[in-house]
Amino acid sequence: MRFKYIVSCFHASWKKRYFHVTNKNKIGEYELQNPKSEEEVVNVTFIDKNNNKFTVKGKIGDNLLYLAHRYNVDLEGACEASLACTTCHCYVSFDYLQKLKEPNEEEEDLLDMAPFLKENSRLGCQIILTKELDGIVIMLPLATRNFYVDGHKPKPH
Amino acid sequence: MNSNCFSRNNFIALKFSSLMFNKRLRILNLNNKRTSKSSADDRYIRGYNEIPGPKALPLIGNSWRFLPVIGQHRIEKIDVMSKQLREQYGDIVKVDKILSRPDMVLLFDAEQIEKVFRNEDTLPFRPSMSSLNYYKHVLRKDFFGDEGGVIAVHGENWLKFRTKVQQPILQPQIAKLYINVIEETAELFVSRIRKIRRKNNEVGENFLNDIHLWSLESIAQIALDIKLGCLDDAVRKDTEILIAAIHTFFANVAILEFKVPFWKIFNTRTWKKCITALDTMRNVTMKYITQALEKKLIQTNNSSNENASLLQRILELDPKNPKLATILALDMFLVGIDTTSAAVASILYQLSQHQDKQHILFNEICSILPNRNDKLTTKELQRLIYLKAFIKETFRMYPVVLGNGRCLTKEMEICGYQVPKGVHVIFQHYVISNSEHYFKNANKFEPERWLKHNKEQTHAFASLPFGFGKRMCLGRRFAELEIQILIAKLVQNFHIEYTRQPLEYEVQPLYLPKGPLSFTFSDRT
Repeated sequence: MRFKYIVSCFHASWKKRYFHVTNKNKIGEYELQNPKSEEEVVNVTFIDKNNNKFTVKGKIGDNLLYLAHRYNVDLEGACEASLACTTCHCYVSFDYLQKLKEPNEEEEDLLDMAPFLKENSRLGCQIILTKELDGIVIMLPLATRNFYVDGHKPKPH
Repeated sequence: MNSNCFSRNNFIALKFSSLMFNKRLRILNLNNKRTSKSSADDRYIRGYNEIPGPKALPLIGNSWRFLPVIGQHRIEKIDVMSKQLREQYGDIVKVDKILSRPDMVLLFDAEQIEKVFRNEDTLPFRPSMSSLNYYKHVLRKDFFGDEGGVIAVHGENWLKFRTKVQQPILQPQIAKLYINVIEETAELFVSRIRKIRRKNNEVGENFLNDIHLWSLESIAQIALDIKLGCLDDAVRKDTEILIAAIHTFFANVAILEFKVPFWKIFNTRTWKKCITALDTMRNVTMKYITQALEKKLIQTNNSSNENASLLQRILELDPKNPKLATILALDMFLVGIDTTSAAVASILYQLSQHQDKQHILFNEICSILPNRNDKLTTKELQRLIYLKAFIKETFRMYPVVLGNGRCLTKEMEICGYQVPKGVHVIFQHYVISNSEHYFKNANKFEPERWLKHNKEQTHAFASLPFGFGKRMCLGRRFAELEIQILIAKLVQNFHIEYTRQPLEYEVQPLYLPKGPLSFTFSDRT
């Protein structure tokens, strides 16, 4: 009995020490949680290249790329938000563009390499939702790899 | 949602930085032109055998071309060879039947390179050192197991490792936590130069070794969270062993890779030296990681904070297993020291050869850091735009690695030819970024071309010193930071000259000036 207690205490403290941190580090896991309250909700509307619209309920702190993955939106993100590719390229509605943090140098450099670049281009993986962004509209480009223009849909990894 | 919000009118009403706007529009035109030329069209596609290239002889194939005396190519002169091949055969050249190597297709077209990169699937295959591959997967299989790291590893194991480490290592905000650490090391190097230079302010002929020490010191603080003390007057025993091992490795690995691979048949002397060096590096690294892990176990839960170091973040991924961090550190040593050092040597040489540009850079540094003791932060680094342009221009004309490549994981149409799976496609960045077709006045050293306000319309894939996509250089953020900070500190403190005969660049196997690197470092007043 006593032994069991010690073991469970040890287990709990171990969990406290590592598990919390490990969980936080798992990429894309946070976005899988539902918003806990209405105040947390950030509505995001995606418009795909065929002009289909769908609105999803994100929450404060969500990474747009992983939120898109959760709801099967075609935003690829091949380099897993490490700023090495342009496959999560998207357009942000102009009325929300100024509410976003300005792109850093690394993102700017990559946007230069994105096909179908527009004035309101951003990389989805660099957009973290805030309450101010509630109602944001994200449009997906014709293609993020120029060869998928003819209909091939890349799978998110 | 009305579609109006995407119209340009609305956009103009916004306060948006005009710089960014202009740049975007210009690049936009170019980009759209680029993408509209989609390649999957109905053109007649020619067969693989029709790709032009030097003819292979029966039995010995194309290997003889690289033999001493009878062959026309020397490894050190691959740069010249590549240019010749392009002139002779065009934008795509096949070099096949080289002893113990798969067929190579050399690509001299930025658009086609973009196509190969964008077609990458989940597991891009990057050809790399076969000796390292053997070391990790055969000789020391017990240690590495499924966690080979990122260098010379492919497929699922590569993806598993890269996915674990790429977020902390490539996120710019984590690299920026190291600005102070890297700056301190750069300052140590400045003092070291003052100590080692002779009366005429000239440093010794093997100054590259000193640069290696700076690089090792910087990277050890990133990979192992320790100060090795490489730049101290009295070097610790452990550090000395590590430095010796790294030098042995660099001196011998090129022989294994570029000369006839006898090591594949029996244990040559070079091979044995290389293996011993690798084992030493692995053991020393493992020792430091284990120490860090023990220290971490004692520390309480402070690891989740934003300022946690790279090593802490990596150790947290799998707290019981020090191997992940060890293997990552080993990879950082294997490919992060000689490359960064070669880049620094090359940039210093260019500074010495372009005094007017060095003067512009010095003025920029003075205006942003008026006092020599001012500490660098992200803000100052952001403003050092001429410094970054200078580095970019050096990489354009003299990329440290001449080319990059992919082993095709599926059949693909390139330049109108059907190229089968398994072929090594080699991107000839050096030739492309030195060609008039992609850069105006390509043979003129002009950092100004990279400044935003007069940025030329260049193809985004014409100069790619760190690669692109899922297999982009993992150490990129740290390398860039190390180089920028060191060069800023050196130019701030010294007037850099080179008074001897001008040097030629050679492939050694990194591309840098061949000869004594005896720069003159005179104090700035």
